[in-house]
Amino acid sequence: MGMFILRRLLLLIPIWIGISLLAFLLASLTPGDPARLILQRELGHQPNTEQVEEARERLGLNDPLPVQYLRWLGNAATGDLGNSYRNGAPVLDSLADRFPATLKMAGLGLAMSVALAVPLGTLAAVFRNGPIDHFSRIFALVGAAMPGFWVAYLLILLFSVNLGWLPVAGSSTWKHIILPAVTLGIAGSASLMRVTRSEMLENLGLDYVRTARSKGLTSSAVIVRHALRNALIPLTTILGMRFAGMLGGAVIVETIFSWPGVGKLMIDAIFDRDYPMIQGFVIFMGTVTLIINLIVDIGYGLIDPRVRAH
Amino acid sequence: MEGKLRSGQVNRRRFVQAVAAGATVAGSLPAVGTSAQTDGVVRIGVSEDGYRTDERANIGFYPLNTGIFESLVTLTNDYQIEPLLAESWEFVEPNTWRIVLRQGVSFHDGTPFNADAVKYTMGRIASNGGGVMGLGPESCVIVDDFTVEITPDRPNRRFMQQIGHPNNSILPVDLNPAESRNGTGPFREVEYVVADHYTVETNTEYWGDKPEIDGIVFSFYPDPTARMLALQAGDVDMITDVARPSAGQIEQMGATLMKSPVGAYEAMYIQLHGEEPYHLGSDPAIREAIGLAIDREVIVQNAWQGNAEPGYTMIPPAILGDSVSLVAEPAYDLEKAKSILEEAGWVGDDVREKDGTPLKLVIINGYGTAADHGTVPEILQAQLREAGIELEIVQTPDTATYEQRLAVGEGDLWLEAGGQNDGNPGFLPELLFSSPEEGGDPESTMYGRAFAPGEIFDDQIAISQAAVEVADVQEAAAVGMNILINEVHVVVPLCGFYRMIGASERIASFDLHPSGVNQKWTSLKLNG
Repeated sequence: MGMFILRRLLLLIPIWIGISLLAFLLASLTPGDPARLILQRELGHQPNTEQVEEARERLGLNDPLPVQYLRWLGNAATGDLGNSYRNGAPVLDSLADRFPATLKMAGLGLAMSVALAVPLGTLAAVFRNGPIDHFSRIFALVGAAMPGFWVAYLLILLFSVNLGWLPVAGSSTWKHIILPAVTLGIAGSASLMRVTRSEMLENLGLDYVRTARSKGLTSSAVIVRHALRNALIPLTTILGMRFAGMLGGAVIVETIFSWPGVGKLMIDAIFDRDYPMIQGFVIFMGTVTLIINLIVDIGYGLIDPRVRAH
Repeated sequence: MEGKLRSGQVNRRRFVQAVAAGATVAGSLPAVGTSAQTDGVVRIGVSEDGYRTDERANIGFYPLNTGIFESLVTLTNDYQIEPLLAESWEFVEPNTWRIVLRQGVSFHDGTPFNADAVKYTMGRIASNGGGVMGLGPESCVIVDDFTVEITPDRPNRRFMQQIGHPNNSILPVDLNPAESRNGTGPFREVEYVVADHYTVETNTEYWGDKPEIDGIVFSFYPDPTARMLALQAGDVDMITDVARPSAGQIEQMGATLMKSPVGAYEAMYIQLHGEEPYHLGSDPAIREAIGLAIDREVIVQNAWQGNAEPGYTMIPPAILGDSVSLVAEPAYDLEKAKSILEEAGWVGDDVREKDGTPLKLVIINGYGTAADHGTVPEILQAQLREAGIELEIVQTPDTATYEQRLAVGEGDLWLEAGGQNDGNPGFLPELLFSSPEEGGDPESTMYGRAFAPGEIFDDQIAISQAAVEVADVQEAAAVGMNILINEVHVVVPLCGFYRMIGASERIASFDLHPSGVNQKWTSLKLNG
């Protein structure tokens, strides 16, 4: 197991450097002069030539790209991701300030996805072609078809405007996290439920389940302790990927619910061509995704010895 | 009823009704929620938190001006400047402004306001590039405790109109707004939570007219729909920046829609100096015909649901004072547009042609973003087609992409929206349409390279720059605007935009400023 983890860790280094290069090039090669955009935002109007030139010099944008990249990579390796062009704050501080909020929301969203998808998917498989299966099919279809922003508005209309139970947006109380997490949860649960159902169907037809039944185990024990446990193995990978996706891609949900996470920070950075923030975000989220994948790989190895052997 | 629901008395029937309402978002607009607020604090839903925290930190004063800080002068709703922390001022040749400061004013911590604070603030602006005023490190000289002389590093007779911008708010000596906020304004800070809310309370020691409310909680809602739903749910008493196409829903939900005077614009610029295939704008007949073929009323009604005014200047009409009459109102005359094109040799039943060249133009949509212009490009496309002009629409997702294209001149027509935040009437015309400097950076002079009409317009800008009296500046700016719109036909104004807010029944009155950053919250009054 130790060698398995070491191999995985060593593999992360070239991937991380690849991500850093991609992050730098993608941001730097997008059209638009960040100096001009920052000044426009700051002044509320177009800057003149001298102001733009002064800002470009101050931001180090007049240096050749390789120089800029090596400078940035050297700093990034020591945890210094530079300062935001947009608000001047250190990028790492901004990400560290915002990431816990995203982590909380995505974590709760994922938990809701699992809480919805796994029981429903399991029941749909057990009662195949019954009413629960039909309901789960409709739920999956609707859940997958409805865009996240639409779900968000529906939830706000229902729980905030009509029932008055929850605030529309914000982040200052525990109530504020419920709607964004549910929005993410619904979006994530549709596909997860279908995977659970198909995995369960496959496992329920296998010999070991028949053996378990013939040993006289109760139906619930066979389903939960044997079939579901095996069906959850491929779900682990999907959950890892979904979680990473939620962390980096909850932009719309964060914007609608004024949730102070990293997604909104990233969108603002893209519009402002805030290179340090874009690059910092990509490298930060890339690192987080690599760590999640590593954890999933290790978890997978622990669950399934065949993975370790390979 | 809403109050009961919020206190938890929800029966099953009510729940089912609510679910049904939620499932028909577009069709059902429940009345605006009753606010639980009973004190004198007003809760306002504003757009996103855009403060900076570096050496240019502007927390509390820009872009959301919370009323904690004040500038030397303030901008009235018709864009004229009025004394605020400056009591009076005079221009001293060749380039100095002597400013007499208000006495008896204190910062919120009790520190007296005097010339030291002004010198510190001007020095801070200078160290950050000097702003549009062109301030240098030695520009501000203290004459006595309540008199300063400010000499910009370059000739600048518009200094007083520029210095009123909230970004130039006066700070006490050594204050870093990233760390604490201590101003002279009618409100003092209670709490600022990044990206969530900003709470201020009334400054009971305020030197001027005190607010009639106890305080304000500004909650940040970046999403305009969520902002509207927050008003509907009763989470806030008022929302700013109501989205133009959905403004009608404010009244449908039983709230009040308030409108400011016009302070922003939407206009189309025609490239004068483009290279093939973007050279057709150099033909005066095409430019004049485009202006005549556009029915602004249709744009206002269809793109903006009546929540705008047909535009006939680019800058807010009020800023031009009496000289606004010098800008002729452009007419809609499709037949005349057609005959001008015919006379210029552009003929044909469908898309016109001249010497085998089809009259096909490319419109770049737009500045700030394509989304800011709604369906305007499509309406323009349909209207110009009536005159035999084919329009291809190119969408640019953000300002950077738009400017990238403008820098290389790839487009015939350029759709823009903008606003005026200071009191200088010549600012936007000068910035966008002055002749480019010889050898200047192409990107920085991109507007001039594409749109500058030349000497005829530059002369007016020179007059506006040299004038000391506001009336003279207004006249020069108005003549310049008229040249752009009605003589050279490089600018086609489309709409004048006013700001809109939605207010619940708690709000009795509010004086809405056309420039959001110059909003004065002291005018807020509550019912009861």
